[in-house]
Amino acid sequence: MALSTIVSQKKQIKRKAPRGFLKRVFKRQKPQLRLEKSGDLLVHLNCLLFVHRLAEESRTNACESKCRVINKEHVLAAAKVS
Amino acid sequence: MADHNPDGDPTPRTLLRRVLDTADPRTPRRPRSARAGAQRALLETASSRRLSGQTKTIAKGRSRGARSIGRSAHVQARGHLEEQTPRTLLKNILLTAPESSILMPESVVKPVPAPQVVQPSRRESSRGSLELQLPELEPSTTLAPGLLAPGRRKQRLRLSMFQQGVDQGLPLSQEPQGNADASSLTSSLNLTFATPLQPQSVQRPGLARRPPARRAVDVGAFLRDLRDTSLAPPSPGKPAQFLAGEAEEVDAFALGFLSTSSGVSGEDEVEPLHNGVEEAEKKMKEEGVSVSEMEATGAQGPSRAEEPEGHTQVTEAEGSQGTAEAEGPGASSGDEDASSRAASPELASSTPESLQARRHHQFPEPAPPPGAAVCPPRSRTTGPRPRQDPHKAGLSHYVKLFSFFAKMPMERKALEMVEKCLDKYFQHLCDDLEVFAAHAGRKTVKPEDLELLMRRQGLVTDQVSLHVLVERHLPLEYRQLLIPCAYSGNSVFPAQ
Repeated sequence: MALSTIVSQKKQIKRKAPRGFLKRVFKRQKPQLRLEKSGDLLVHLNCLLFVHRLAEESRTNACESKCRVINKEHVLAAAKVS
Repeated sequence: MADHNPDGDPTPRTLLRRVLDTADPRTPRRPRSARAGAQRALLETASSRRLSGQTKTIAKGRSRGARSIGRSAHVQARGHLEEQTPRTLLKNILLTAPESSILMPESVVKPVPAPQVVQPSRRESSRGSLELQLPELEPSTTLAPGLLAPGRRKQRLRLSMFQQGVDQGLPLSQEPQGNADASSLTSSLNLTFATPLQPQSVQRPGLARRPPARRAVDVGAFLRDLRDTSLAPPSPGKPAQFLAGEAEEVDAFALGFLSTSSGVSGEDEVEPLHNGVEEAEKKMKEEGVSVSEMEATGAQGPSRAEEPEGHTQVTEAEGSQGTAEAEGPGASSGDEDASSRAASPELASSTPESLQARRHHQFPEPAPPPGAAVCPPRSRTTGPRPRQDPHKAGLSHYVKLFSFFAKMPMERKALEMVEKCLDKYFQHLCDDLEVFAAHAGRKTVKPEDLELLMRRQGLVTDQVSLHVLVERHLPLEYRQLLIPCAYSGNSVFPAQ
């Protein structure tokens, strides 16, 4: 069961920022606020760094528990800490 | 012994043949030839095998020996074997290229055995026959562009037209259409070399399989059929099935064409369709009316030039999906396909977005019963679907980034967990930004607020500035937008 639910890794990722998505999320959350022109790029940068840190932390957790696969618990533990 | 071959020794093949042929009993007439004969006798077996491969792989000594043999062969060729060289070369050509029915060079080859008296003519003919071998290699290279070119059908059509004019003098033994494309391309390329034209397809019969340019004919046929069918059915009063089926597409066309001021290129289509439309509209049912109304409302929304495309595609999709209409799906879908195929090449733009938008509109339309001729709450039925999907689609981008950064295989549940984390993260982010902007007395979130946020998170420190992070993690285009940079003309972009 574990094997079947493992997601394959992609080697290539796109580096574009989903600017429309970010703007929409912000608008939906805070309709009264406005976001500036290049503000969503910085938001994207922030997201990247957050995801990067989260992934590193979960990877560390998984390695420490000697698992070959990153589990839900590893991610949760990483999220709780940060 | 100077290392110099007058004829150039183009291929090891010729070398080999010369070696083998000059090893005939005629050879030992001169003292040089005796030496050469001895050399040949020694090296024949070895060099025959190796020369057939590549001259480069031969050891220097042997290659030199081969060259010396060739040289001596040439010397002899000049002296005594003048009669043989054209013939032997001809034999070589015939052996190596059996299938090619060489036309033009035959004129070169035929007079070759005849004038055996004059030396320079023989040399020229030998060179000419040598050139024959060059085109043997050329076609293989020109076939590559020939293979690539057929992707562009327009070019092929033009070439074939051109080739028809050019090929008047040259006989075409192959089928005109099928191989004309293959042969025309390669022949047009080979004309400069004055070489055979059609044997390309003979040599590589696989190319003959390329389909000829049938599209134009089909479109014309379909247009004719369309006109015939569009004019014919309303009059004999076919059952409402066909009408209801055709009414939609016809309405689509009508609405599209009526709304557009200028018929793009389908004015010929428009006229018969208009006739069909008028007649069909009279016989339409409420179903058709409601559908047309909905289509009208949906049609006027997005850009009009792209409507007919979207409509045809959608109607085609509808017909193919077998919607809940009680129509003969075969007839209607067939007609829709025909009309759509006829329309699509004429109306160049294809709009998948409009298609999707239409799909969203069209789906609820056939669903409600025919009695309910009211615009259904389109937004409500399709609301929940797009609200969640783009959100998840956007999040999936970051989820992929997560799995990329993790560099380890992950479980699906873990990815779902990551999605939840991201959701929470975005909420917190927006709250923080709101607080920061309010603190600065603003209602707009500015990059300074973002910098403050990152400083609080510990990403930006006194050692690591925001610009450094931008340069590190964002692609160049964004860096250009974010970091002010001086440009020519005393301008800074973006303005500080």
